[in-house]
Amino acid sequence: MNLWLLFWTFCLVVAGASFAFITVVVSIKGGRDLQQWFKSLQQQNRE
Amino acid sequence: MNFTFVDWAIVVTYLAASVGIGLLGKRYVGTVSHYLVAGRELGLYVGIATLAATEIGTITFMYNAELGYKYGFAAFAAAIISGIVMIIVGRTGFVISKFRELKLMTVPEYFEIKYSRGLRIVTGMLVALGGILNMGVFLKIEGEFLTIVSGINARHIVAVMTVILLLELLYTVLGGMVSVVITDFMQYVLLSIATILVSIYAVYFAGWGNIVNKVTTVMGDGGFDPITNPKFGLTFLVWQILLWFSVHTCWQTTAMRMFSTKSPETSKRVMTWTGFIFLGRGMLPMLWGIAALTLYGTGALTNGVPAPVVNGATLTPIDAMPAMLANILGPGIRGIVVAGMLAATMSVNSSYLLGWSAVISQDIILPIRQALGKGALSSRGQIFVNRVANLFVSLFLMFWGLYYTPPGAVYLYLNITGTIFLAGAFVCVIGGLYWSRSNTTGGYVAMLSGAAGAIIPFFFLHWSENVTGFVAFGLAAAGLIVGSLLGRQTARKAQEAIATD
Repeated sequence: MNLWLLFWTFCLVVAGASFAFITVVVSIKGGRDLQQWFKSLQQQNRE
Repeated sequence: MNFTFVDWAIVVTYLAASVGIGLLGKRYVGTVSHYLVAGRELGLYVGIATLAATEIGTITFMYNAELGYKYGFAAFAAAIISGIVMIIVGRTGFVISKFRELKLMTVPEYFEIKYSRGLRIVTGMLVALGGILNMGVFLKIEGEFLTIVSGINARHIVAVMTVILLLELLYTVLGGMVSVVITDFMQYVLLSIATILVSIYAVYFAGWGNIVNKVTTVMGDGGFDPITNPKFGLTFLVWQILLWFSVHTCWQTTAMRMFSTKSPETSKRVMTWTGFIFLGRGMLPMLWGIAALTLYGTGALTNGVPAPVVNGATLTPIDAMPAMLANILGPGIRGIVVAGMLAATMSVNSSYLLGWSAVISQDIILPIRQALGKGALSSRGQIFVNRVANLFVSLFLMFWGLYYTPPGAVYLYLNITGTIFLAGAFVCVIGGLYWSRSNTTGGYVAMLSGAAGAIIPFFFLHWSENVTGFVAFGLAAAGLIVGSLLGRQTARKAQEAIATD
């Protein structure tokens, strides 16, 4: 049981940290992605 | 009523912003490719946001918390499998790269490329049936969450959920995938903040040491070890691996995000990074459920687990987590968390509405129309059919979703309804892409036997979910092999004939 607890604790820390880290990165860099996407859509509509 | 003025202000502001931003998407929709697959121009970060937001809803938090409450840390195995399988699919490009190269809009569309139009229609029907039944329980469960956390009278919940459904329907119908992606981005940020906040609050109030002690006392080794836990075991784990491979490759709403990315390489990167989010998507709400067990698990034992008792009232395990939130979150924070959960609800529902209605229109109505000898519809015509299908799916959800109660754990109900089409679809896609002998006869047998293998054992014979899952996938695989060996070899059609945009 102790090994399982250690394993789940490690997994939980990795999962929580990844979740928070990716959220921050996506929030910061996603804005530029959105702008480029809108430009592409407008260009497709013009064509 | 648990909500203060500040909480209401936060929630109403969020709803107005969400619908307003969603409606902006309509101006960018020119073709059916914009409406269904965002013009195939999504970059990495927006791709991650929309995929994560699509597959993280209040329903996800509720069923994962229920698993945590009932099975302790052992439930983490399901979350780990879903995340790791997603990372493997992303790293290898298994199925998703080839799908993206084919420029599909729906998963059943592949069946016409590889097999036949008839099989595409049959697959479309099964995908729509399984998908809509799957989504059918969302509204009720989400309504329960809102009722408990906000303190709204349960009598008003049908009206509240109807309004929420209509709001998300409004921007989904008008702006399609463009509106869905824009709102998904905002909703992803908000739901992630709520997820992190709730996790911190849950561990702070329950205490890590108390959490471990409670699971040890109530469940013993089975609360930590998924192999010795009677609900799980090796069969469950193997079934979950199969199921998640099929979900991450053939689940319509996930696949639509892959179809919407700029390139096959982008789709692989989106899938890989979202895999890490999927670890938290499962484990964090499971932790909330375990925290709720620690704080409120004092009632009579059911299957060895004490029922939650909150403020003198005995609840079901799935309601323990929202009841905990109603008690531990203060004013303001409660509003942010509920806005975050509403964001999660709206992002999932809008994506699912679009996903299943796309299948109904593109894979059932339009192919039948073509089979009857009528000409192809214009892009504008296809968008119109999609919008009508969207309305139809919403109407069904209003009635089915608010009145049907699933038996047993919601997570397992969702797994089984998904398996109705996933077993056959996954086997046919793998066979189609990687086995040259697979043919239309095998495809039909696989789809029908996979669906029968999910429906008959679970709904009529009342077999366990694990066994049902194995039977469905096993029958589908056997059906494809036997049917293909016995049936006539069919020529593969040119992919250009079907990739219309």
